Amino acid sequence: MSTETTIHDSIEQAATAVAPVWPLHSFVTANPLAGFEDRPFYEAVRRAEGRFGGAGYPSAETFRRAYEEGRIDPDILAAELDERGDDHGRDGDDDHETLLTHMAADDGSSGGNGTADDGSSGGNGTADDGSSGGNGTADERVDALLTKWLSAFLDQGQAEWPMPNREAGFYAAFRAAARHDGAIPNREAIAALPETPVRAIEQVLSGRPKDRWVSILEDHLTALPGWTGLIKRRAAEGSAWQSAYPITLVEYLAVRLTLVDLFDAAVDPSRATADTRGGSADRPGGADAVDAEDGPPLEEGWLTAWEATYRERLADAVADESASLSERGDARPDAQFVFCIDTRSEVIRRHIEAAGEYETHGYAGFFGVPMRYEGYDADAAVDACPPILDARHRITERPRTHADGPSGRGCADERKGRADGGYAHGPRGRHGRYDRWSDALETGATLLKSLKSNAATAFSFVEAAGSGYGLALAARTLSPARAFDLVEAIEGRLPDAHEVRVPAVDRDPSDDGDLPLGLTLAEKVEYAETAFGLMGWETFARVVVFAGHASRTANNPFDSGLDCGACAGNPGGPSARVLTNICNDEAVKNELRERGFDIPADTVFLAGEHNTTTDEVTLYAGDVPASHEDDVERLRSDLAAARADAAAERVESMRSEGDTGSEAAAVSNRTAVRETERRAADWAEPRPEWGLAGNAGFVVGPRELTADLDLAGRSFLHSYDWRTDETGEALEAILTGPMVVTQWINAQYYFATVDNAAYGAGSKVTHNPVGNVGVYQGNGGDLLTGLPLQSVMAADDEPYHQPLRLSTVVHAPRDRVTDVLSTHPDIAELLDNGWLSLTVVDPTRNDGVFHYDGDLCWNTTRDDGGATASPEPTQAPPAADD
Amino acid sequence: MTGQERPTTVGRIENARTPSSAVPRALTRLVWALWLVSLGVLAFRIRNGGTWEVAGLFRIDGLTVVMWVAVTFFSGVVHSYSRRYMAGSRHRTRFFSRVFAFTAVVALLVAADSVVLFAAAWLAMGLVMADLIGLVRGWPQARAAASVARRYFLAGSAFLTVSLATLWWHTGETTVSGITSALGTVPSTGVLFAAGTLLAAAMVQSALIPFHTWLLSSMTAPTPASALMHAGFVNAGGVLLTRFAPVVGADPGFMLVVVLVGAGSALLGKLLKSVQSDVKRRLGCSTTGQMGFMIMQVGLGFFAAAIAHLLIHGCYKAYLFLSAGGRVEHTSPATLEKNVRAGSPGVVGAAVIGSSALAGGALFAVLTGKGTSLDGGLLLTGLVALTTLHAAWTAVGSTALSPAIRYGLVPLVFLPAIAVYAAVYVTIDGLLVDVPLGTSPAELTPVHGVVAAAFLVAYVAIETGVYRRSERLYVAFLNATRSPPGTVLTSREEYNEY
Repeated sequence: MSTETTIHDSIEQAATAVAPVWPLHSFVTANPLAGFEDRPFYEAVRRAEGRFGGAGYPSAETFRRAYEEGRIDPDILAAELDERGDDHGRDGDDDHETLLTHMAADDGSSGGNGTADDGSSGGNGTADDGSSGGNGTADERVDALLTKWLSAFLDQGQAEWPMPNREAGFYAAFRAAARHDGAIPNREAIAALPETPVRAIEQVLSGRPKDRWVSILEDHLTALPGWTGLIKRRAAEGSAWQSAYPITLVEYLAVRLTLVDLFDAAVDPSRATADTRGGSADRPGGADAVDAEDGPPLEEGWLTAWEATYRERLADAVADESASLSERGDARPDAQFVFCIDTRSEVIRRHIEAAGEYETHGYAGFFGVPMRYEGYDADAAVDACPPILDARHRITERPRTHADGPSGRGCADERKGRADGGYAHGPRGRHGRYDRWSDALETGATLLKSLKSNAATAFSFVEAAGSGYGLALAARTLSPARAFDLVEAIEGRLPDAHEVRVPAVDRDPSDDGDLPLGLTLAEKVEYAETAFGLMGWETFARVVVFAGHASRTANNPFDSGLDCGACAGNPGGPSARVLTNICNDEAVKNELRERGFDIPADTVFLAGEHNTTTDEVTLYAGDVPASHEDDVERLRSDLAAARADAAAERVESMRSEGDTGSEAAAVSNRTAVRETERRAADWAEPRPEWGLAGNAGFVVGPRELTADLDLAGRSFLHSYDWRTDETGEALEAILTGPMVVTQWINAQYYFATVDNAAYGAGSKVTHNPVGNVGVYQGNGGDLLTGLPLQSVMAADDEPYHQPLRLSTVVHAPRDRVTDVLSTHPDIAELLDNGWLSLTVVDPTRNDGVFHYDGDLCWNTTRDDGGATASPEPTQAPPAADD
Repeated sequence: MTGQERPTTVGRIENARTPSSAVPRALTRLVWALWLVSLGVLAFRIRNGGTWEVAGLFRIDGLTVVMWVAVTFFSGVVHSYSRRYMAGSRHRTRFFSRVFAFTAVVALLVAADSVVLFAAAWLAMGLVMADLIGLVRGWPQARAAASVARRYFLAGSAFLTVSLATLWWHTGETTVSGITSALGTVPSTGVLFAAGTLLAAAMVQSALIPFHTWLLSSMTAPTPASALMHAGFVNAGGVLLTRFAPVVGADPGFMLVVVLVGAGSALLGKLLKSVQSDVKRRLGCSTTGQMGFMIMQVGLGFFAAAIAHLLIHGCYKAYLFLSAGGRVEHTSPATLEKNVRAGSPGVVGAAVIGSSALAGGALFAVLTGKGTSLDGGLLLTGLVALTTLHAAWTAVGSTALSPAIRYGLVPLVFLPAIAVYAAVYVTIDGLLVDVPLGTSPAELTPVHGVVAAAFLVAYVAIETGVYRRSERLYVAFLNATRSPPGTVLTSREEYNEY
């Protein structure tokens, strides 16, 4: 019993090294080094290099390019290197070149990826590594066998004949199947395996000293980090797949150690290679002994200088705006838009503001409602909230009824003839037509699948259907933009899902699921109040649009990675609709008015969705009263204009050598829109949009601070007004919620850029999607996690994403920020360890710029409107004084 | 919103600055030009007929022209697709030059009359394809996969060389046309041996079981190269047997072997596919099955049908490869159990199903001429009828649909599709008139009965799922489709090319 507890504890401890991996159909951004976030960045990177063999800093070449492009200020670099003692860089260009050459030489000698010069995986080599030909080493054979069974077990609906006995769990299913597996040596031993996985682990570990267990288990858990990350996440989440076919890291380790034993591979690989590793195998409890010895590497200085250059420009620009910020006018804009804090929103927001008297705001794209959404047509429910939260409500879709108001598309004349608004459930109703279409499409798909999968029908089917495929082959390749038109034309004829379905937001007391179905009035009021509170709203326009966002791409396994990150890789439209529905509720409005939100009677809330691939903003205007139809019409035409401008900017940033058609210098807005449509529909386009590539900043403050700036789609923007947040609660919520999530996103882009093989998914060109959960490179093996090369690189050796750690700029009294940090040591730790930086522009101190310097101290880089650069640490006062 | 002046910009990122290479664009234009030329030649042939020869070296006949049109079409699609898909890849120029070289070699192969030229083109084709599998040089698994493929292709070339040498020794001829016309009517052991080695070469090329491992380990090739492999490269097995049809068809007994080999791969390939969970390996198993079916058509004496099948399958499989990225779905375990055909179809339904199946088979037989007499064509017609039956049954059973769609789907969609196939087949059959034994149906034997029964058993087994009860079979299927461990990326940092 005590041994069993030790094993469980050891596994739990060892498993922290493995970052969770979400299945690809709901791509959630996560830091691949999440398990090391409790250490300083450079230590974590070094440790991960040993574990995963990945590089943790940009290459010398990347730094050189940034330096040459003026992205690294020479003075800042010199100061930074000086401070660190890497002071060769003091005197200008020649010396920076020397340093880079030195750095490049270091990169080369360690194979660009730390410790992998012996050709084996870091921390996982065995005595006979190096001979990878033929059948491979014992380790490779263990890995190959494991990935075979893992991909079979974790399959989510690809194979018609799934692995037998999955319902009994991975260990039991493996035991049953492995009896027949001729690829396992000495497989008679399988029959004698213990009943429980823990016992099996114990059998293998029993001969090893207990203080090595954590290290051994960590080695085995990080050998296939893609698959183990997926298992870790799946076991923690408890999805439908997990309850049907359970698998845990304990089971995984039991199978792995059993195979290691049978193949006679190294049980304790670190020990086996300890000689070449400076005795790191002797570390107790998994702590890396080498960590303590060396300080931050040269790259840390360069990276910090690069970040500081960007940050100073951003913070200074914000401080300038803050200084010139006039008293808030009470002028009522024509409409207000709320977009996700996503970096891509910055671009469209700028152009919408330019198109009319519009105000835009930034708020987390799940609109604050942590829900599990069950779409009408969807096979599976999705948790549309950031992974730091658990879903608290279930929201389903219900058919629209007359009570929901008229449909937007039909306009007045269509409504005249129909007393029921055309939503009746009968076969003639719009809803019936929708069902018929979706049923027909579904049947067609099922029919194709069943014809293809039966050995006796597949051949004649191919002969009958093949010519059609040939036409499609030519059409999609030679005329990709037409493919977009075709889809649009078909969708135009089909009833729109948004027209016939609305989210059922009201609480259903009869329901007794594990999550409550719908929201009570109190909950609705809470979510609405939180939204307006966090954004610091005082004025409400006639039309308020909540715009979620979603991408639209073709032939892209990573499409969910381009959807809303705050909605866990799902489209944001449903979340926007739910908050809209809440806010249009008269009872909610009344309650909000009592709490001090002066919502005029003529304010109408509208949901929409921003397509981040084409920059089209669709308004779900089905519920708009006749009085506001003109407003909506004007909005639509202004949105179209804004879209064209945004598309032109986007196309400019995406132009590459492989583009079809115009290589002219300037692109007209119309061609630009067309080009974005082409990218959205083109099956041969590996870079349909840049996603969040480029992200580097996070500005928390009123839009006025950034409205006159072009942040080039590189900054997250969260609306916040320090004046309406006297308690500091809103700031606390933003720094502990959105800031943490943006840091994850930022870390994912950072690591995918600095080492796309170890921390990204490699090139799309050789991807092989597996089991609806992830991708392989080529023939199989470990699951590739993170972003593909084409998401962050303009070309194989030319990053588009600038690998910078997140620079957060908060517009608030400095001491209020200090208070938040002192009550949230986890956030302070993240900052102290250098995973992101925090800068405050303090409106109460002459718009001074204060950079967080660790241990709740601040550096003043600029204490008034001037540009004095005199670092002087200021100790935080013991108590808040504002 | 003061915006009269340009807003201050913070940190804009410049465009990509990789210099563009002229090679992809030039080769893409060239290959489409070649396609147009091939079409012109095809039109000319349809009007005027005849073959052109460069004595002893080339012979351009119907098969040549059909394959020219096909291979330049697939290659053109792959070229155009890759101009965007491979953008930014540092292997782009090499990729395009290899794909184009492959196209040229195949064009040469189908026009070659000299056996030396034929064998050389065959070998070159394999080597170029192996190079595409290992395109990413810095990736050890890709190199390993390329060397696996190269070993198979060298073996295939060896089989072919032995076969051609035997035929030369037997007939004294050094051209394909010479050999095929000089063969005596009485099959000899030498010809039989040559036919056997030809079949072996074709099996390697078309990745028939048990030579499928190279194909299932070839996924390190860029996706468009895989598309070309599955739409072009594997087809060469069928082309080879058609080119040497008089050798292969000399002995009816040998044709039965071909039928069995093909049918075995056809059925097994599909069964192997059912246990795969990754998209490209599923497509690979499917290709093995489809190529098996194509070889089976050869064994039944329908050489033109085999060519039609491999062209149509090429369209189908190229499409599926090029769209392989669009297949990540969010499913729930419950959808696995979903059964479409609920309950019995009823009297009307049964009548519709039965008559659809009959109509499908009859239409196929009338339009293609297959199965109108008592020969191997009956087997093909039977399969069409079975497929129509299956489609109609599924459609009629989908009670969610309105009756019009349920009953009308198959007659209105499936039957016209059969007619389209028939048109393609008849065209190709017409073009292959000057190919000896273009269509020469085999006489029915008990072996054909066994094959028909095997297809029926497989149909029932898959529909009812009985075969899934055997865990042993599951493991056997899974293990039969593994790639050698050296070709599998288990340590991600080894993918260090990027």
